[in-house]
Amino acid sequence: MMTGRITYMELRTGLKGLLIFGLLVIIVSAGMPLIFPTYRDALTEELEGANKVDLELPNEQGGMITLSWEPLENATSYMVLEDNRSSMVTAKIKYMGNETSISFEKDFEEKRYYAVMAVLNGTSDPILIGIATTEKGEDPFQELMKNPAYAGFTGGRNISMLEVKGFITFEFFSWWWMLAGLFIAYLSVSVIASDFENKRMDVMLSTPISRRRYLLEKFSAMSIIALIIVLAAMAGLAGGLANINALDEFSAEAVFLTLIGCLPFLMVIAAVGMLTAVLFQKVRTGMGITFAFVFAEFFLYTFGNFSKSLEWMKTISIFKYWDYSSVIIDNLFKTGDFILLTVLAFVLIIIGIWVFEKKDIPT
Amino acid sequence: MDQEKVIEIKDLTKMYGNHVGVKDLNLTVYKGEITGFLGPNGAGKTTTIRSCLALIAKTAGEITIFELDSHKDAVAIRKKTGYLPGDFGLIPSVKVRSYLKYMLSLRGCDSTKKMISLAKRLELDLNRKTNELSKGNKQKVGIIQSLMADQDLIIMDEPTAGLDPLMQQEFYRILREEKKQGKTIFMASHNLAEVEKVCDRVAIIRKGQLKVVEEIQVLQEKTGKVLEVEFRDPVTIDELKLEGVSEIQQDNGRFILTIHKNLDSVIEAVSNHQILNMSLKTYSLEQLFLKYYANEEDPERGDA
Repeated sequence: MMTGRITYMELRTGLKGLLIFGLLVIIVSAGMPLIFPTYRDALTEELEGANKVDLELPNEQGGMITLSWEPLENATSYMVLEDNRSSMVTAKIKYMGNETSISFEKDFEEKRYYAVMAVLNGTSDPILIGIATTEKGEDPFQELMKNPAYAGFTGGRNISMLEVKGFITFEFFSWWWMLAGLFIAYLSVSVIASDFENKRMDVMLSTPISRRRYLLEKFSAMSIIALIIVLAAMAGLAGGLANINALDEFSAEAVFLTLIGCLPFLMVIAAVGMLTAVLFQKVRTGMGITFAFVFAEFFLYTFGNFSKSLEWMKTISIFKYWDYSSVIIDNLFKTGDFILLTVLAFVLIIIGIWVFEKKDIPT
Repeated sequence: MDQEKVIEIKDLTKMYGNHVGVKDLNLTVYKGEITGFLGPNGAGKTTTIRSCLALIAKTAGEITIFELDSHKDAVAIRKKTGYLPGDFGLIPSVKVRSYLKYMLSLRGCDSTKKMISLAKRLELDLNRKTNELSKGNKQKVGIIQSLMADQDLIIMDEPTAGLDPLMQQEFYRILREEKKQGKTIFMASHNLAEVEKVCDRVAIIRKGQLKVVEEIQVLQEKTGKVLEVEFRDPVTIDELKLEGVSEIQQDNGRFILTIHKNLDSVIEAVSNHQILNMSLKTYSLEQLFLKYYANEEDPERGDA
């Protein structure tokens, strides 16, 4: 019996799908750096808009704040929104009228943001002139980083979207886990559960292949597929970065280390997929549970960033142990985390083998 | 019995929750024989077979195959065993040839000679894609798969399902040849006529319990043939009370004779009359049960 036969067959039958998915990965990972210069220019322009609004702070509490802005041609009226967050999601209307300067009493302690908008002649939607804040030297994006939903992606680190590092962190890594993770989850459940559902298991296990070997070979196939996906992403990302001459900011080594860290992360997902597949022996059930696992882990990690008291949630999330932003921002590859995820993947597979050996094969 | 035992099942019980799969089943399959495992659908044939192959766990009992424990030494047993499941799927979108070669490689066998010759005899095109096969052709792939690696023991679950009559005949020929080469074959079926044709011994199972194990000749003598005949001229029952006829029923001028022996002389005697209509049948499995085993309490009876 030649070892690796099942692995080989799995790769061969899945080759077409893998090629298509690999191509997709290369396109999106190369595309991200390529659109960065355009994005940066648009963002810079938008940020400059913030300077179009001038805010004068009083020296003492109870003094007057003066807000003034450049008049716009065609403007019929102006509107000022006030909020304590830069995202303006809970904004109230502070002023509406024709003036280009307003004054009001500073009767609050915390910081405030003011968005000034102009209503133009002949249009109904107001346009943004700019945003001003009572906080000195505050970058609206740094403010954004403090939002726990975003902080998760950077491990709580401050990072600028005007740099290629920040852009790749947010626009690539924040969703890459979903693309690669769910693909691996789908594959690893279906390569096992479809053997049950399509009644291939009886013939398979009438050959001198033990259940342990069957599962290990399928797991090898999944690990190889995960590696191929990771390599495709590396090639795409490095190629895209080279194309915009950004490899001195975001090095090829960083590309390698951020993505290789994702390999054991994907192997854990594959192991969970296979475990649920041998446990429930149904593609749908296994897929549902494995997808739920991936999202649950993600939310645990996000909630763990909300407050100190919830931090324990992070430690039980696999997302904590693939800290790509540590490589990107601090130049630090966490070998311990890499090993931990790898060990976890194998522990899960051993549990999977144990479960598989106990269960009857359904007819 | 000095014959070498290949499969020895002792007190096998398999429960599915509260539902009985098989109960206290004892059965021996001897080397070089074709043993038929006969029973209606749902009787426990598949459960027994899949227990032998360790595809399902036993609730109680012991199975020894090649003097090895069916579950502890499953891999070693499977090296010498071919298996055709009652229901199976193929890897989709590959050529039949690639699929069979793959299964051969998993059995550690390189030679495709037997695979090719079997495909020729069963008229199966190896270049077809697995997902384009009819039910009959798929069954042929399964049969080839179970026989191609030349293993000592072949376990088959309803092997002729989906095969047309001509192919069935060819399949029986193949089985007899396998037997000649010293193979042991254990074959589940719900078709008595089929079992009679190829098997040396038959085990009959019903509702999870083994009813009888018998050599096929003994069973044939017990079951006999059923001759239905209608005469043009008047014939009395007494005229048909011949040697070998164990039972006569009369139904609107039709006579139903159960014949256990001397079939030739009975037919000869019958043909002395003017015959309007005549048919000769083998007992169906259900009739067999009704007649001989329906009230059977002791499953050990008749162990040959």
